Amino acid sequence: MPQFETSQEWLTQSSLLLQARPTTTRITSKYNVLSPTSAKITKKRSKRPLKTNPESTTTTTTTATPPEAPLAAFILKTYDPVSGACLKYKTDKAAEVGRLVGCLGRLGRSMAALPEMGEDQTPDHKDDVEDRPEQKNTPASAVVSTPPQTQGSGGKKKKKGRK
Amino acid sequence: MASIHMSNEEFFTRLAELFDSRRNKGHGTVFLTQKRLTYAFDDETDFPPSAEKVSDDPLWDLHPPHPVPVLIRATDGASKEKRRDRKKDDKVKLSTIVQPDALDSFYVRYAEICKTGMSALKKRDRSKRKKVAKKKKAGGVDDGNKA
Repeated sequence: MPQFETSQEWLTQSSLLLQARPTTTRITSKYNVLSPTSAKITKKRSKRPLKTNPESTTTTTTTATPPEAPLAAFILKTYDPVSGACLKYKTDKAAEVGRLVGCLGRLGRSMAALPEMGEDQTPDHKDDVEDRPEQKNTPASAVVSTPPQTQGSGGKKKKKGRK
Repeated sequence: MASIHMSNEEFFTRLAELFDSRRNKGHGTVFLTQKRLTYAFDDETDFPPSAEKVSDDPLWDLHPPHPVPVLIRATDGASKEKRRDRKKDDKVKLSTIVQPDALDSFYVRYAEICKTGMSALKKRDRSKRKKVAKKKKAGGVDDGNKA
């Protein structure tokens, strides 16, 4: 089960999977907050010092003391039960949530068999759109692609301005 | 069949409640799932196509005649047995159907609710120094972020 480093990579692979199997593929996003007493966290905390200690004991005392392991995580999983393909992306940053849900929206569009409005149009996308009889034959790199992007970045800018 | 699912509006309010209850509990999980609606809940739409049509064209789902609604689900991920032990209310299961034309507006609100709901994720770090300070006095810095 591949887990991607970047959300962009996850998005492109997921959209390809969705194009191949639009009816069976589902996207599950999991927002998980572990309780501080959770076994996962206590294990991680006990493991970490063991890994770092042999190298140098003096530095690890400063670095390993704040055991603020990522308590919360947002995990996106694209899964197609027919082919068994499963694509994962995991983050613990709040700043990414808005963009990731935007990604879910774009993938939702291809689930709904609506024309893509993404900015990264690969030739595959275009072929797919043109194959569909009902949809307009305008190339998928349509002008509509810009609004979500500007919205996202606009929001960030506003936040920066306030501070 | 359609009565099982709630309206988009109700889904949003219930989802916000779900996130809130997670926050009040201090820990927990929220699962969000989206998939294409694959059963016919409305006789008017011929979807999914009959078995004959499928055998004629095995790749029918790659070019459906109409845009297809998307099914969105949300759950707190609690197994029913676990809940029974605690004698608390049942597993929370929310679902809604988003019509293709409402998809964009739905996801705008969906993103907002997710952003406010997923409050336990790491806030953006301004610098490494602040990161250290944040851990020492988490409350003060959080207030600063909100203001």
